[in-house]
Amino acid sequence: MTDTTDSTGTDWRRVGLYAVLVLLVVFYLLPLWTGLMTSIKIDALSTAPFLPPAPSGFTAIHWTRAAHALAGGLVNSLILAIPGTILSALLGSMAAYGLTTLEWRYQIPVLVLFIAGIFIPYQAVLIPVSKFWAVYLPLGQYGAAVGIPKWLGDLTGLIITHVAYGIPICTLLFRTYYKDFSDEMVEAARLDGATTHRIYRRIILPLSVPMFAVTLIYQFTQIWNDLLFALVIVGPGKGAPVTVPLAQLGASLSDVGFGIRMAGAFVAALPTIIVYVLFGDQFAEGVST
Amino acid sequence: MATLELDSITKHFDDDGKTIVAVDDASIDIDDGEFLVLVGPSGCGKSTTLRMIAGLETITNGELRIGDRRVNEAKPRDRDIAMVFQSYALYPHMTVRENMSFGLEESTDLSNDEIAERVESATDTMGINDLLDRKPSELSGGQQQRVALGRAIVREPEVFLMDEPLSNLDAKLRAQMRTELQRLQEDLDTTTVYVTHDQTEAMTMGDRIAILNDGVLQQVATPLEAYHTPANQFVAGFIGEPSMNFFDVDLEGETVVGGGLDYPVSGDVRATLTTDSLVLGIRPQDIELVDAVESGRDVAVTVDVVEPMGDESNVYLSLPDTREGETFIANVDGRTPVEAGDDVVARIPEEAVHFFDRQTGEALRNREFEGDADVDLSL
Repeated sequence: MTDTTDSTGTDWRRVGLYAVLVLLVVFYLLPLWTGLMTSIKIDALSTAPFLPPAPSGFTAIHWTRAAHALAGGLVNSLILAIPGTILSALLGSMAAYGLTTLEWRYQIPVLVLFIAGIFIPYQAVLIPVSKFWAVYLPLGQYGAAVGIPKWLGDLTGLIITHVAYGIPICTLLFRTYYKDFSDEMVEAARLDGATTHRIYRRIILPLSVPMFAVTLIYQFTQIWNDLLFALVIVGPGKGAPVTVPLAQLGASLSDVGFGIRMAGAFVAALPTIIVYVLFGDQFAEGVST
Repeated sequence: MATLELDSITKHFDDDGKTIVAVDDASIDIDDGEFLVLVGPSGCGKSTTLRMIAGLETITNGELRIGDRRVNEAKPRDRDIAMVFQSYALYPHMTVRENMSFGLEESTDLSNDEIAERVESATDTMGINDLLDRKPSELSGGQQQRVALGRAIVREPEVFLMDEPLSNLDAKLRAQMRTELQRLQEDLDTTTVYVTHDQTEAMTMGDRIAILNDGVLQQVATPLEAYHTPANQFVAGFIGEPSMNFFDVDLEGETVVGGGLDYPVSGDVRATLTTDSLVLGIRPQDIELVDAVESGRDVAVTVDVVEPMGDESNVYLSLPDTREGETFIANVDGRTPVEAGDDVVARIPEEAVHFFDRQTGEALRNREFEGDADVDLSL
């Protein structure tokens, strides 16, 4: 008897657990689902937002239009985000190696500067940064002088800005990771005759793969999703990353343009989703250590 | 192969403005091919000394010479040494083969074929051929230990440095590796400095042992010399298992009195005692249990605890008129029929007694020991 009551009790707890899980799934997926449904309806306001369209009300026009409008931006964003991500992760890892595994004086003050860098808000440096790229180091104009398109020069400025902004957090992430490395292992490598540079190349770097997955995902999402720096440093035009045309997408049409905005959001978000899928396993390993 | 000379080596650490002396004026000359064991309690500076030889710590004062070449300022890679760490410190992302070739790739101009050859011959020596393509995480502790040793011998260095390499192994494997390491060192004939806190390793492995305490070198001697003729009370207490028994005694006429003892001392021995305030030391192995008091050197005692270990027993004895729990140890044959609470007689033979100056700890009189004579060392 007691056995059955016990198992019914467990069953009810199970039911409760799954009910909560299903509710959470609905909670998280509803906006995405609604967006998806809206993007394939001819008239977004014809039915409730989360209901699928009637067969006659289905259209792919928003998707093709959005893809067309954002194609250039997507390419620019890739040109921006791929080198930006790799550079900030790599430089962050090198800085963390220098600040953690090697020993020299004044390490801590330098580290404090790095940490402080994490907390500088974008808005605070907006004007100095835009002025820096516009007046003191106008890469776009320099590039134009030697035949490189101006937008590519501007985009390079944006890459450097994002790399500079990404290094502190990447350094901190790598430092936390490197602190757990055995000192004796690095000492063994020194005794084996490896120079500081070779120790990084052959010991530290190969062991950093899980943390690279973490920083790559994090930085890629950061840079890809940024609108503020993109707008201020590059602005609308040939070199604009995808966030800039995305922001203008609905507004360029006469109606509110729910459908095309939703389709555009999906198109713009696709690369970050792909990155998550590609590095997900490594990411989990990196976060758990 | 080379000699290794530590000439007044001193190491100061700076701790918030205070200077901590980790190693104080240590001088040791290590012969070519010699196996020297650095031994002492934790925090005595033995690892720091080893790390200075390796070049992982700077030397505050003094000179370090490898084969007559001053190496104080040389980088670890330029000292022609190889070190085995307590944690083995293998590179986790490399296979055994890669772990062992790493040092040769980084420090020599050998071709890949030559490196492969050296690695194979080292793995032959260590008996780890079948592990070559495994990663450290796939190896047992004992196997990792072998790889760590293999990584050192493949370099064919002038000097081996070993920092408690056996302390992470279980007791049985440790005993086995101890013998193997000794044989290996004899075959290779490479100068070796071996750090340990385990006095069994110190006694059995070293050609000579250097005993450190509080950063100060206490004695450098062969194991038997250190055991039989310790330079001071610290060495006497540190070397030997169980530890030597000590009694604080005062010389009063022809006897020493104290700690419950009233022990007659012959004229020859008295002549060596330069002070009245003494410590009498006697090894547990030298105390005999007899049936009856026959002389002043036999004392009536009560058995407090018996620790049988099979072939031998440690018997904790308490003297009359001493505090509860104040005991000394006799190490006797395991078949001796004694039990806790028995009244027995302990015989303390004078030829086995050591005397130390109670103030300085310096040995005033050690037991008789001829360095070359065959001595029955029943540890």
